Amino acid sequence: MTETASLHGGRALRSRSWSRQVLAALLKRLGARIGLVWIAALVLVATFAPFIANSHPLYMVVDGAASSPALRHMEPLDWVWLCGFALAVVLLLLPLKAWQRLLGWLLGVAACAAFAYATVSPPALTIYEQYRELEADGRVERLIRAPIPYSAKDYLRDFADTGIEAPLAAGDGRVHWLGTEENGADVAARMIHAARIALGIGFIATGIALLIGTLIGGLMGYFSGVVDIIGMRLVEIFEAIPTLFLLLTFVAFFGRSIYMMMIIIGITSWSGYARYVRAEFLKLREQDFVQAAVACGLPLWSILFRHMLPNGIAPLLVAASFGVASAILAEATLSFLGLGLVDDPSWGQMLNQAVQSSTFNWWLAVFPGGAIFLTVFAYNLIGEALRDAVDPHTQRTAGGAS
Amino acid sequence: MLIYLLRRVALMIPTLFGITIVVFVVMAAAPGGISAQSLVDGTNLEPETRQALEDYYNRLYGLDQPPPVQYLRWLNNISPVGFVREADGSLGTFSLWKAPDLGVSFRYGRPVTDLLAERLPITLLLNLLSIPLIYAVSIAIGVQAARARGGRFDVASNVLLLGLWSVPTMLAGVLFIGFFASEQYWRWFPTAGLVRREAVDQTFLPWLGGPGDVLLLAVLIGASTALLVWAAACAPTRARRLGGALLGGVLGYLMATDLHGPSPGGLHLLLALCGAFACGALAGLPSAFLRIAFAGGVGLGLGVGLARVAGVEIVHGGYLFDRGWHLVLPVITLSYGGLAFLAKLTRSSLLENMAADYARTARAKGVAEDDVLWRHVFRNSLLPLITVSATLLPSLLAGSVIVESIFSIDGMGKLAVEAVQTRDRELVLSVTLISGLLTLAGYLLADIAYAIVDPRVSYD
Repeated sequence: MTETASLHGGRALRSRSWSRQVLAALLKRLGARIGLVWIAALVLVATFAPFIANSHPLYMVVDGAASSPALRHMEPLDWVWLCGFALAVVLLLLPLKAWQRLLGWLLGVAACAAFAYATVSPPALTIYEQYRELEADGRVERLIRAPIPYSAKDYLRDFADTGIEAPLAAGDGRVHWLGTEENGADVAARMIHAARIALGIGFIATGIALLIGTLIGGLMGYFSGVVDIIGMRLVEIFEAIPTLFLLLTFVAFFGRSIYMMMIIIGITSWSGYARYVRAEFLKLREQDFVQAAVACGLPLWSILFRHMLPNGIAPLLVAASFGVASAILAEATLSFLGLGLVDDPSWGQMLNQAVQSSTFNWWLAVFPGGAIFLTVFAYNLIGEALRDAVDPHTQRTAGGAS
Repeated sequence: MLIYLLRRVALMIPTLFGITIVVFVVMAAAPGGISAQSLVDGTNLEPETRQALEDYYNRLYGLDQPPPVQYLRWLNNISPVGFVREADGSLGTFSLWKAPDLGVSFRYGRPVTDLLAERLPITLLLNLLSIPLIYAVSIAIGVQAARARGGRFDVASNVLLLGLWSVPTMLAGVLFIGFFASEQYWRWFPTAGLVRREAVDQTFLPWLGGPGDVLLLAVLIGASTALLVWAAACAPTRARRLGGALLGGVLGYLMATDLHGPSPGGLHLLLALCGAFACGALAGLPSAFLRIAFAGGVGLGLGVGLARVAGVEIVHGGYLFDRGWHLVLPVITLSYGGLAFLAKLTRSSLLENMAADYARTARAKGVAEDDVLWRHVFRNSLLPLITVSATLLPSLLAGSVIVESIFSIDGMGKLAVEAVQTRDRELVLSVTLISGLLTLAGYLLADIAYAIVDPRVSYD
């Protein structure tokens, strides 16, 4: 979201007209609009996942005592997502510069995370069955459940024979719109919670890759010469190892935490960005405004990131948009190959279960696979539209033809 | 030219070293890492045997030594130039040409070289079948899209290709296997492997009942293929569309019959409509090459089907047919993504060149549009396609990891996944090294092709 957020925030005087133009050109394209709508829907679903799919009732009155088990069982991460979302909305409404928004958001989320992990402590033991038992005992006076009354890790142990069930095939009063997976958990609930992993991996891994790529590529382009030669060898090394092989090696030897995976995907995919930034900087370094900045005696980071980077950011944004798509694909592939997260829901892991047993469970292929496809497609649509929008040549000719 | 190539090869050597360093650092830096203890862990052994095994691994791979020393040992083992390793693990005399030793896989207990010699050809077969397919189809689509820019074909193919490019390989593979290879739906293709056990003992070509059968089959296939190809090439557009739609409808109906029996139902109607629409659209394609290729494929299948209806006795399909039959789904799964990417690239590259000054000059002096396209623009537009061929191989290798896992093909990709899952040190290092080598070879080939095709490349 940061890329589009920074485009939204084009109040900075220097870049206003250009980013506004790009945004307008982007929104003119149907593909970009469809992509943005899907991503926005995904962000909403991911943020409010505990209120959409949860075994804990949102509100209930038992023996005259009202409580909200859903709120009580919220994890620190749930709060971080909510705070991050609220903060993003507030920052978008405030008149700020793009980089101020980005920085403010990152700092705010970091503070929220620190606070949430220090203070929020949900019950260590979650018993999903208790509410259904209470209800069966007739002690519940009032009950408001989430639209999908199952959690991602609620394996329905209180029902006799749960396992893979086709959509709407469960007999004993349960309704699973998208069926269940091999452990008996609701597929819809797992997919909703897995949206977080997909979004998080996409943004953070791409962010890390952008950071490394910009740094190395910027230094290569600015200094050229020996730094460039050494840097290009590094880029070539990372390009010559097929990314998936490197990812497999990394994941197998470094364990399976989601954060590790983000870092690993980031580390293995920076080389393309480095190439783009290097090419832009090689062009820019000869220009007068950079020479002027050097002559003024500005520090290196200021020349690189305040003067040169904003002028070379266009191809980077396009590449990042495609990069988010491939990061999501990378995570899905790893999970599919059985090297992903162990218990946490992930689209790729559910897709893997579609053919694991001797039968073919179409709902485990169609729904999670469809979600991966739509998300990747959305980012590719946005990337495509962005590329046309920032390229003055295609913009002019495309306007004439279509 | 020779000096240029030598320079390219020389520049690859540091890259190759870099690849080995990166992979080795990953393994060495991993928490727990690889030690003799982690290797014998989990085995149920007596303490003395265990100690002996640990000592053996330590001696063999130097696992008790610091990582840089281990790395140098490994490098010495795999390079043809270096110290000969004695049987007890110590280093012997320096030799300029010794056999490279990739070590022994822990999991399989076999030399890695043997494993790779067994697995690598399968992966290469998959990839080498995919590459020509990708290039042929994507150039046909790209040329057609660029020719009628902004037209219906262009817009539709643009969206379709972007969609195709976004379909994850594992989703396509799972859907293919689920719908076209599982017991529940159409069981048309095999679910796993590259060859059936029986087919190994069979003749290479299909074996029919008698000479009469061979003749009948040849006539039927020839007639149906020739008819369809002729229709695709020469018939007017409207007739083509109608014929294609009819044929597609019948095929869709037959497909539903295969699953639910001949009595008409909802599925029959749906599949007949889908088939009619798809075949009608394909028959109406403006690109003659795509049409003829499609018609030829359908004609071949139709001929075989008619022959079976006509009572041709097929004793068995033979090795060639069996291999091809096993390869259909994996090759399609492997190639559609690259195809979509390359078709889009072809289109944009052609468009760029069509707007170039030299193309305008050619048009201005009265060259026919077809000649401008094929003799001037097309040749220049091939350059980015050649550049991309270098990156196509790594992506195909990555794709074959997924495809081989889905279709249970014992190739290098599956070997890589297994090696990584069992932390098989020698195997992981070797597989990554080989894939890096293949990629570098791809780069080199692309460079050579580029140097041959583009006279503007300077060799110094």
